[in-house]
Amino acid sequence: MKFRYAMVCSSNQNRSMEAHSLLKKQGFDVSSYGTGAHVKLPGPSLREPNVYEFGTPYKHMFDDLRRKDPDLYKRNGILPMLKRNSSVKTAPQRWQDNAADGPFDVVFTFEEKVFDMVVEDLHNRDHVLMKTVLVINLEVKDNHEEAAIGARLALDLCQEIEATESWEDSVDDVVSGFEKQHRRKLLYSISFY
Amino acid sequence: MAGASRDQALALLAAANNHGDLAVKLSSLRQAKDILLAVHPSFAAELFPYLVELQSSPETLVRKSLIEAIEEIGLKAMEHSSILVSVLLVFLRDGDSIIAKQSIVSGTNFFCSVLEELALQFHRHGKVERWLEELWVWMVKLKDAVLAIALGPGPFGVKILAMKFLETYVLHFTSDANDFEKSSIEGSGRAFNISWVVGGHPVLDPASLMSDANRIIGVLLTLLQSASSLSGCLTITVVNCLAAIARKRPHHYNTVLSALLDFDSSIEMVKGHSASVQYSLRTAFLGFLRCTCPTIMESRDRLLRALRSMNAGDAADQVIRQVDKMMKNNERASRDARLGRDDPPSSQLSVPGDLFRKRSMHQDNEEPTNGHGMTSKRIRYGHNMHSASHVQMSDSGQDCASANGVSPKVPLLDNDLTPVEQMIAMICALVAEGERGAESLEILISQIHPDLLADIIVTNMKQFSKVLSSPIGFGNLPVSGQTGSSSSPATAAPTITMQSSVLPAQVPFSTAAATSMAHSEMSTVINLPPDSKRDPRRDPRRLDPRRVGVPVGLQSVHMVEDTGAIQAEFDGSISLSKPPSLPVVTSVENTSTSLVSKTEGDDKILKNALISETDQPISREELLDGAKEVDHIPEIGATSDAALSPARTIDEDSAAPESLDIAVADGADTSPLIETDQHSPARSNTYVSEETSIDLPLPPPYVELTEDQKIRLKKLALERIIDSYVYSRETDCSHTRMALLARLVAQIDGDEDVVVMLQKHVLLDYQGQKGHELVLHILYHLHALMISDSVEHSSFAAVVYEKFLLAVVKSLLEKLPASDKSFSKLLGEVPLLPDSALKLLDDLCSSDVTDQHGKVLRDRERVTQGLGAVWSLILGRPLNRQACLNIALKCAVHSQDDIRTKAIRLVANKLYLLSYISENIQQYATDMLLSAVNQHISDPELSQSGSSDQRLEAETGSLETSVSGSQISEPGTSENDPMKGSQSVQNISTVEFHQAQRLISLFFALCTKKPNLLQLVFNIYGRAPKAVKQAIHRHIPIIIGALGPLYPELLSIISDPPEGSENLLTQVLKILTEEKTPTPHLIAIVKHLYETKLKDATILIPMLSLLSRNEVLPIFPRLIDLPLDKFQDALANILQGSAHTGPALTPAEVLVAIHDISPEKDGIALKKITEACSACFEQRTVFTPQVLAKALNQMVDHTPLPLLFMRTVIQAIDAYPTLVDFVMEILSKLVSKQVWRMPKLWVGFLKCVSQTQPHSFRVLLQLPAPQLESALNKHANLRGPLSAYASQPSIKSSLPRSILIVLGLVNEPHMQQSHPPSSLHSSDTSSSVHGATLT
Repeated sequence: MKFRYAMVCSSNQNRSMEAHSLLKKQGFDVSSYGTGAHVKLPGPSLREPNVYEFGTPYKHMFDDLRRKDPDLYKRNGILPMLKRNSSVKTAPQRWQDNAADGPFDVVFTFEEKVFDMVVEDLHNRDHVLMKTVLVINLEVKDNHEEAAIGARLALDLCQEIEATESWEDSVDDVVSGFEKQHRRKLLYSISFY
Repeated sequence: MAGASRDQALALLAAANNHGDLAVKLSSLRQAKDILLAVHPSFAAELFPYLVELQSSPETLVRKSLIEAIEEIGLKAMEHSSILVSVLLVFLRDGDSIIAKQSIVSGTNFFCSVLEELALQFHRHGKVERWLEELWVWMVKLKDAVLAIALGPGPFGVKILAMKFLETYVLHFTSDANDFEKSSIEGSGRAFNISWVVGGHPVLDPASLMSDANRIIGVLLTLLQSASSLSGCLTITVVNCLAAIARKRPHHYNTVLSALLDFDSSIEMVKGHSASVQYSLRTAFLGFLRCTCPTIMESRDRLLRALRSMNAGDAADQVIRQVDKMMKNNERASRDARLGRDDPPSSQLSVPGDLFRKRSMHQDNEEPTNGHGMTSKRIRYGHNMHSASHVQMSDSGQDCASANGVSPKVPLLDNDLTPVEQMIAMICALVAEGERGAESLEILISQIHPDLLADIIVTNMKQFSKVLSSPIGFGNLPVSGQTGSSSSPATAAPTITMQSSVLPAQVPFSTAAATSMAHSEMSTVINLPPDSKRDPRRDPRRLDPRRVGVPVGLQSVHMVEDTGAIQAEFDGSISLSKPPSLPVVTSVENTSTSLVSKTEGDDKILKNALISETDQPISREELLDGAKEVDHIPEIGATSDAALSPARTIDEDSAAPESLDIAVADGADTSPLIETDQHSPARSNTYVSEETSIDLPLPPPYVELTEDQKIRLKKLALERIIDSYVYSRETDCSHTRMALLARLVAQIDGDEDVVVMLQKHVLLDYQGQKGHELVLHILYHLHALMISDSVEHSSFAAVVYEKFLLAVVKSLLEKLPASDKSFSKLLGEVPLLPDSALKLLDDLCSSDVTDQHGKVLRDRERVTQGLGAVWSLILGRPLNRQACLNIALKCAVHSQDDIRTKAIRLVANKLYLLSYISENIQQYATDMLLSAVNQHISDPELSQSGSSDQRLEAETGSLETSVSGSQISEPGTSENDPMKGSQSVQNISTVEFHQAQRLISLFFALCTKKPNLLQLVFNIYGRAPKAVKQAIHRHIPIIIGALGPLYPELLSIISDPPEGSENLLTQVLKILTEEKTPTPHLIAIVKHLYETKLKDATILIPMLSLLSRNEVLPIFPRLIDLPLDKFQDALANILQGSAHTGPALTPAEVLVAIHDISPEKDGIALKKITEACSACFEQRTVFTPQVLAKALNQMVDHTPLPLLFMRTVIQAIDAYPTLVDFVMEILSKLVSKQVWRMPKLWVGFLKCVSQTQPHSFRVLLQLPAPQLESALNKHANLRGPLSAYASQPSIKSSLPRSILIVLGLVNEPHMQQSHPPSSLHSSDTSSSVHGATLT
């Protein structure tokens, strides 16, 4: 695997972690982040989400929610998800606070808002390394099923990108081809480290 | 030292050049680099030529490392590095893009360092060294080379970096307007810009460099224009680079922006992935919006337009974020609100010295629409910030003051403001900004969350009513007259409270401070300077219902409305431009002024009311209500306002005439309908309002509405909004609409008509989901009221809530097909399910539903629908879970089969799997099962007259018929004892059976999910009454079928069945073995059971077909011992055998086995054995003559002969007379075996002989004389025929004399005597022989 990947969603829980988990299994060099201000997980109702700070270990959240309402969170898949996450890494990381993680070659985002934030954040950094980074947005709804689908699509796309000689030359074709094949809209942008 | 390291470095470099192993090369190079870095630059420089030699290395990695090394070393030993830089230049054209890329990167770093060094050196020493000049020449070459790459063909990766280099280049040679701030913050080499270069620099000529930079920008712009020939990623990069330049270098912003906007309009031409390209524009524009730089701020309108045209909803977020920002500013401003205005905001042309202030003012004013990035950007304004913000605060303070007209109180109370009030304050502040604020205001309103917007409106209503309720006297003028509309002042109370409950946070205002607060707020809302009479009041008052309106298509209304807003805002700015007219006034004055202005507003309202509601006398007491009524109108206006705001801005000029037109049209259409009011506010504009005021007679200051009118108005308002739905589906205002409707419904106390109206509307639109959303909106709002503090309101709201919910739910049920999911969706999503709704659900599922005509509607589909809803509620509503579960369970024991089946399917298949309720379900099912058992024990036992035996019989009978239809069972078993009572028992049991079935079905359904529950069935089976047993028997096959024989639970039950469950067990085994071969395991279990616990051979019957001969034989006596019917089963199984092994015993073997049983030894009654034999003989197809013959043949050789042998022989000959010859052979054998020595057989022998005469004569004659004698004595009737037979000459000659003597053929006189009685006996014998078969 020649590239370094980052998967970014808003809370670094579902979509990015699903993809992180999958890519990691496939042997990719991958990290994952969230761009939100906090980590939000569904609560008993729409208006009562469970809010955590980035950096709170998944395990901690798992214990917390299991204590609160094991049935509910088991049923809505949150507990399993947290468990999965804790097997991938320790805690959710915020994209903006982890610039030091170094340059990625490809950054995947799963929501337009996140894409915007990542691109904006990259634009605002000093581009000392002058290393190009490809940011791709693949719109994925924030639920377990879609996340699973999204992760597979991301994997597909990563594999395609890996297969290219240099992504700069073929990104347009790869993206358009992918859109045609999977009937999903993509956005990409280019920034620097 | 130096020499040593030199040698070492040389060696390493040689290795890096020549070694065969790539890894060694790389590590050598690295080590060499370390050495070169460690030694003095001048020493290192000696080795540079060797280092440079590596550039021809064939390995990419080596060359890449070389570049990195060159960069590091070169930067350290810059004086000597020109030779190294030449390598970079070469590598720029390297075939491998990795190398080319790396050399651009390193080249850029070099470039920056050299440039800095150039500037600094001159700065420090006043001169530039020669080597540096030389290096700079290289750098210029480098730049040209990179530019060539950017423009020429080549790998995109390299070109992208080349463009990045150009961006850097441009940034370096354009001056940063903010550089004094930037440099202090960033300080790194990157912050270099041309302004560092002091004039008179010998090498660097700022002017030419800047023009070069401009040229490069031109190049980039050209690239952008030729995007149709670029690939997507290059275009994106160009856009990004240009955007970065524009953001960092405001001088060039306008050029870049125009280019980007142009590009945006020709985006279709783009090659590559156009969505991404366009998105890069969007990103760029948004980035601009975040900038606080004045130049960029000025172009915000263009940016917004461009962004909107590309649906950048993101701008929304930003505005909201700015709103926060602005909020803070307002707070700060409030503290300085009283500061004098010595610096009119309109003085845009400030002197140069005022630069900062100007900027900050800009910032302040523009903030509402500005990007959120401001926070971070603002820091860059650094040290100036403080003073700037000071000025700025005072500025906005003035704005605020002028905007609010007279509201010094607002600032004072600001800290306690609710979000709604803050929003109001903000809107007012924007309005105060006049023209500049217009667009921002529009955006703001378009972005306000519908709920918040509705709250704002409702809050405004509250202000109205409060103001009006203040004790300012106005003549109470009869304005209109609706006859007989009397009303009580008390009605005012609920309305007010209702309003305040809409916004719980406002409750404090109802204290003493309320009035003054209300004033200040009111003025905020209305924001009218007291001195300007014709006034910005129009702004909020564009809602002014003054004109008699006619329903016009909403779109046009929007447009006009927009204009109205703009005009109003324009007015606002006029008022701003009259600063002197705004003295700082005390709060007392404020109160009065605002009241006055308020009054004016009311005048207008009343005028309007006069027009529209002529003939409605309004009493003084209803002042308050009246105001409130009218208040609905502004609400609507605001709605449409919100709706329009996403729409494009309309040019003021063009819009104004348009509105005039419409006003005229309105006039033509004028009709005195009250409803028209509600539209008219949406169209207020200066024009018409002024006209009207001229035309109208002097208006009475107040209109007081009666209760009826109030209600009517409310309804009409609702109707309006609802009607407008039809037209406005495409617009974005639906959310606001919903929020408003919700609030209105909450205000109208659950009026039937309203509910019906809404109901209709909701249904109309339900398919499109709008109806659903609306209902939820309303319900949520009501629910919010319910849980608000006030007891009074909550109960009121609860009533409305329930009424509305029920109405909607019912109509959904009536109108929509049962397959529609809306019903359950609605129940699932409403905030609260009242008991009545659950009751309805219950009825739907289980009770009879009657329609309007009283006809019972028992629609299966509806039941399904109801149960579906129950299911989803159980899943989705933990609070109602138990109640819903109860409904489902109730249905699961429903007396109607179809309901029950459906419910059971739901409970068992879906609900039972849910861990949180499975316990309950199981408990319930168990209770039902037990109740069936217990209840039946008490009743039927009494009703059954028969003994328990009889019951048992009947039971087995029914068992047989219900389960084993295929078995050969005596059909009459159950009728064997046809007691009189049995018929009635039968009748009762049908009813009971049904009842039992009803109660236990659920449990059995659960058993299929959780087989160990079956244990309970076995446990209770023993004491269960007949009907229940029957029901159980009905269920068992199904469940066993579902489980399969391997189920461990089942096996464990089988291995240890509770007492009394033998029948059940048998049935289970029968089922298990019926369809497929039982597993060895099962057989083993059953055998074990038979051997240990349960001696009853019945359980073995189903297994028999699988047992081998050796297994069957030992248990055969036990089988014989079973009741006849069971033996028959067993017999069938034994004979049937399995497909693999064949029958365990052949029929002949069976017969033999039966005969082998010894009554004494095996303890079995002889009667049983004879019965068994008879049973065999009944099966004539199985026990054929051949079989019998074979069996008899075998048995005749046994010693001792079986007890029943002769009986069987007689039976055989009886059944098959054709066997007679064979039987004779048997008899002969017996004779030879001296059968007369076996007394019991001897009797049978004689019987047989007598029966089979004349065939038996030959055998008889074989007997020795004494035995013959005794035989003839016993069966005297034989004598005559036998004698006759024997007297035939051929036979007689062969007979011994002794026989002849016995027969009297030798003239023995005493022998003759017995002759006469023989004929006498013949009939007796025959009858006795007959009897033999029966014994």
